[in-house]
Amino acid sequence: MTMFHFLNCAILTFGPHVVYYSATPLSEYDTIGTSVKAVVVYLLTTLVKLICLATFLKVSDTDSFDLYQELMKALIGFIDVAGIYFALTQLTHRNISQTHKFQAVGLGWAFADSVLYRLAPLWIGARGLEFTWDYIFQGLEANANLVLNLSLAALVSLMWLRKNKPKTLIPIIYACVVALATMPSIISYLRKALGWQPPKVVGFELISSLMMAFISWQLFYACQKPST
Amino acid sequence: MRNNEPYLLVRTLDLSSPMALFSVDRTAMAGQRSSRCGGEVLESVYAVLALVLVLVACVELGDAATAVDVYRLIQYDVAGAPFGSRLAGLNHHAGSSFSASGADLSRTVVILPVRELNLTLLDECIKSKHPLGGLLLLLPQRSGSRVLGEKLGSDGVNGDGLMRNILAELEKLLVHANIPYPVYFAFEDDKINTILADIRRSDATGQPASATTGGYKFVVSSWEPKKVSSPTITNIQGWLPGLKGESDVNQLPTIAIVASYDTFGAAPALSVGSDSNGSGVVALLEIARLFSRLYANPKTRGRYNLLFGLTSGGPYNYNGTLKWLRSFDQRLRESIDYAICLNSIGSWNNELWVHVSKPPENAYIKQVYEGLSEIAQNVGVKLGIKHKKINISDPRVAWEHEQFSRVRVTAITLSEFPVAPALLESSGGLSDSRNSVDERAIQRSVTIVAESLARHIYGLQGNIQIFAENSSLSVNPSYIISWLDLLSRTPRVAPFLQKPDPLISALKKELSDHTVDVHIQHESIDGMFSFYDSTTATLHIYQVASVTFDLLLLLVAGSYLALLFCFLVITTRGVDDLINMFRRPPSRKIKAA
Repeated sequence: MTMFHFLNCAILTFGPHVVYYSATPLSEYDTIGTSVKAVVVYLLTTLVKLICLATFLKVSDTDSFDLYQELMKALIGFIDVAGIYFALTQLTHRNISQTHKFQAVGLGWAFADSVLYRLAPLWIGARGLEFTWDYIFQGLEANANLVLNLSLAALVSLMWLRKNKPKTLIPIIYACVVALATMPSIISYLRKALGWQPPKVVGFELISSLMMAFISWQLFYACQKPST
Repeated sequence: MRNNEPYLLVRTLDLSSPMALFSVDRTAMAGQRSSRCGGEVLESVYAVLALVLVLVACVELGDAATAVDVYRLIQYDVAGAPFGSRLAGLNHHAGSSFSASGADLSRTVVILPVRELNLTLLDECIKSKHPLGGLLLLLPQRSGSRVLGEKLGSDGVNGDGLMRNILAELEKLLVHANIPYPVYFAFEDDKINTILADIRRSDATGQPASATTGGYKFVVSSWEPKKVSSPTITNIQGWLPGLKGESDVNQLPTIAIVASYDTFGAAPALSVGSDSNGSGVVALLEIARLFSRLYANPKTRGRYNLLFGLTSGGPYNYNGTLKWLRSFDQRLRESIDYAICLNSIGSWNNELWVHVSKPPENAYIKQVYEGLSEIAQNVGVKLGIKHKKINISDPRVAWEHEQFSRVRVTAITLSEFPVAPALLESSGGLSDSRNSVDERAIQRSVTIVAESLARHIYGLQGNIQIFAENSSLSVNPSYIISWLDLLSRTPRVAPFLQKPDPLISALKKELSDHTVDVHIQHESIDGMFSFYDSTTATLHIYQVASVTFDLLLLLVAGSYLALLFCFLVITTRGVDDLINMFRRPPSRKIKAA
């Protein structure tokens, strides 16, 4: 019975990644290798991030919102951007188009994130007898995270890999990357400082992720036009 | 030798550590390519990963929303006949009444607050052997020990008394029934009252908790209760030897003061028995303390030995007293002048009873009774006498003095009960808490007994008060209260006391502070009774979702994924691709055909 609930939550958390891979042309071009490399880069990036967090942040006993600490965290969050950039450029990919490359990297990135941060709590918590909405929300959060990571990967690939993009769009791209990279801090601000309840936070994440996806999509197409 | 080789290999492989595997591979397949070796290493890594996963899967976490301490109804056999709650493990949904429509009661834990209990309904339910998943009885909140001298309002006293009656009735019902499901007691608190209100609400709307509707689930993970192996009863005795004059050739006569200290009740972990027989134990300790001060000085040491006995096994026909008396040698038994047994002397108003087995006209009985009633009159207490003949063939021993009478020792029992309680009743159960005991009643009882003893020992006549108030030999109320409080916190059901139990050592130490030759006697309990353990447990209360909800969730998640798939295929590859995806398999078959 509780296993059933665990499976439901697992489907909600990890299903979208699989569906995304199999539904889009990613599966046709067999980009799993790229995704796996992205996962490895993600793990290394997370290690670096953790070391930075451990070095520069104090352990706070209270669950309150500390501006300096959060700013520090946001700054460290930019290591993600560097990691994605590394994954997109430095790794030797097989000959796949830019469009598929960023998707594969974003997908691998989001999947690794989900496994690392959500699998263990899910395994421990969702199998308990006690029912809570937490793990369903966590599943929805994973969906939002996937979309956010894909947008981030798309924008990073726009920022550094595409040379002939319209000059007017560059500040917008940078602004969006900043917004995406600081998203974890924004969410922690909402949760801790404003005291939002989980349903509200998850709703915000879903809506913001869809908005960011739409913006990045528009930007991507706007940049693609002159080259073609 | 050749046959041995594979065996050795297998043995080494059995170690199943990756290093062992690796080394075996290296030695056994030395000639092979190193690429194979790499594959084997990877395999051993997989093995370790699998091991880790298995370990993780075994981790069970107690993550209940609420954990409540619960106390199980006693489970015992009398001569092989089963009584009490026969099960301990619990894993069922919760309900709030027997009459909930549509609920499968055999898979429901019914919660009943004792405050609003309908005893006749419960009685019927137990008598008719109605199948039930379990029963959780909520006792009213534990009230702390009463402040000294504080008087409860008349309303409070009435409510308290009423509650006590209900508890006594309930206990009688449960203890003498054979109940084939787990029965637990818990104390009401805010947490559990909120849950109860929730359960009642869902019951009222006609949606009792079940697998299909969800709700609260009560889980007590417990093993099958095991029989307590060789339960022991422990008697403690101490002496205050009298002063032997040079002219005395014979042994000095002895007076015994006896109280049984153990209890029996519906919930062994809650049977503190403040009145039965905590009050008797306290009185005995105080009397021992008073006389130890008199006997410390050779000038005031009497010509009587005083024997103090704290006996166990009281609820089981004074089994401990019987064994204690049997351990005496003939001379000692004959030297006992008389014995005073103290039983439940903590909650009387103006009337105490002396219970005897010999007719009151008997010279010895008369002497003891008159000695006591003279003092009682002075204190303003009415002391009645009740004669109950002993039937030797009847195994039931209702009073402790009857065990003495059976070995022809003159003995009386001083008690507040006018009639003898039945077996396993009034022996310190649920209703018998600190609140039901008045320490001033104990004080007066101590005065009566001690004063009459002193008069007998020193042969005093007239109106002399030895233990007068404000004298150095006065009864010490704070001593009585502190011991009464301690006993009221300590459950003392004999089979569940460990052998070096802290309570027994405390009693022994206290007795040895006042008396000499303190001796502990361990005996096994009467073979007729056997008891089962797991008297306390932790109840985990989970709020569970229904199967319907989980199915719905699966449906929603599945259709979401399907929609996502369709959407992604359409946006990235076009509608035709999606349609082709579903068409392709049949078209291939046609081609093959």
